[in-house]
Amino acid sequence: MRRYPRWPIHMALLTVSVLMLLPFYWVVKTSVSGENIFAYPPSVIPKSPHLFYYVDAWYYIPFARYFVNSIVVSSIAVVANVILNAMAGYALTRDFVGKPFVLFLFLSCMMIPFQATIIPAYLITGRLGLLDSYWGLALPQCSTIVCIFVFKGSFDAVPRSLVDAARIDGLSEWRIIWKVMMPLAKSAIATNVILAFVWSWNNFMWPLIVTRSADMQTLPLGLARFLSYQEDTTGALYAFCVMVLAPGVLLFLLAQREFIQGLTSGATKG
Amino acid sequence: MRDDFDRPLWRRLVVNRFVVVLGAIALAIVGWNAYVASYSGGRVTGRVTDTAGEPVAGASVTLWVLNFTTYVEKARGVTDADGRFLIINRDSHNLQLAAEKAGVGRSRRVPVRLYFRAQDVELREPLVLVPTSQGGS
Repeated sequence: MRRYPRWPIHMALLTVSVLMLLPFYWVVKTSVSGENIFAYPPSVIPKSPHLFYYVDAWYYIPFARYFVNSIVVSSIAVVANVILNAMAGYALTRDFVGKPFVLFLFLSCMMIPFQATIIPAYLITGRLGLLDSYWGLALPQCSTIVCIFVFKGSFDAVPRSLVDAARIDGLSEWRIIWKVMMPLAKSAIATNVILAFVWSWNNFMWPLIVTRSADMQTLPLGLARFLSYQEDTTGALYAFCVMVLAPGVLLFLLAQREFIQGLTSGATKG
Repeated sequence: MRDDFDRPLWRRLVVNRFVVVLGAIALAIVGWNAYVASYSGGRVTGRVTDTAGEPVAGASVTLWVLNFTTYVEKARGVTDADGRFLIINRDSHNLQLAAEKAGVGRSRRVPVRLYFRAQDVELREPLVLVPTSQGGS
């Protein structure tokens, strides 16, 4: 079999990678140089870089408080997503009356934008007395349909005989989920963790509506507040963006292998 | 590749990329906070000289801190016989310093950026007093 040279593919992939990474590089470069983004000609290498814009971003707003808020809310969302989505995903692998209807309901609900459900979500959160609290901030993000289907796809790939064997050994459905299914679904767990974290971390609309006190605001709201405080803050603004982006990027880099496996598991199933 | 399950449980729990990376970050944070605790006296020190490089005693040194968009005067100090001054600043990480003495002149405002509030800092370059007729501001 004739082997084609691989360098054109590598060159193409390298070019695409550079193009994809260029905006990230530009954000980091601006955060250490403060260069005006409209400067012409733009400088690729930062001139006299320093880290003082990060210090500005830390002190201009209560960054530590917002950071802790975002961490707490995202942690609640991640844990709730893994538990609730695993339960729902497992249920969808079982046969029960009305399953096609439930699947259709889930798929149709995915097509409803969140903005359309904000008012009922706000009213429910208010009735539960969770406005302006961590639980209220995390509540609408505690389960996502996409992640339920990620778990369903992963659980579908587990041989049925394994589940039957566990049942014959006397395991309840609960223990089958946690003792049999979950250890085999690490990729789905990683996918859930990353997606839930990133969605919760970047969420702006819901925290804007549900928080009332400044102490409960999260980082995306802090960014808006930051912009309203200062005008000439190109460097500090980009430093703030890097500080907000860093945890999500770090989490993705740590779990990218499982994340990609989780998204592709079931995709090649016959 | 060695199977992950061959390793003891404690090692799998402790030696993995999540624990190692997050542990390294935690260590860096602890180290940084220890450094901040050690150097957070708020001492701003430096020297004042004339254009010939000789120390100027009795010069008044003014410290401004950034308040949103403008710098406001926060503290003053006076140089000793060696031209050295000490001002305590615990308010800001973004400072400006200038010195002046009647009959000698005035220095330009020197921006000083700190990595944290109340950081101890010593100016690398002295504040040079320039006769006001030569354009010191």
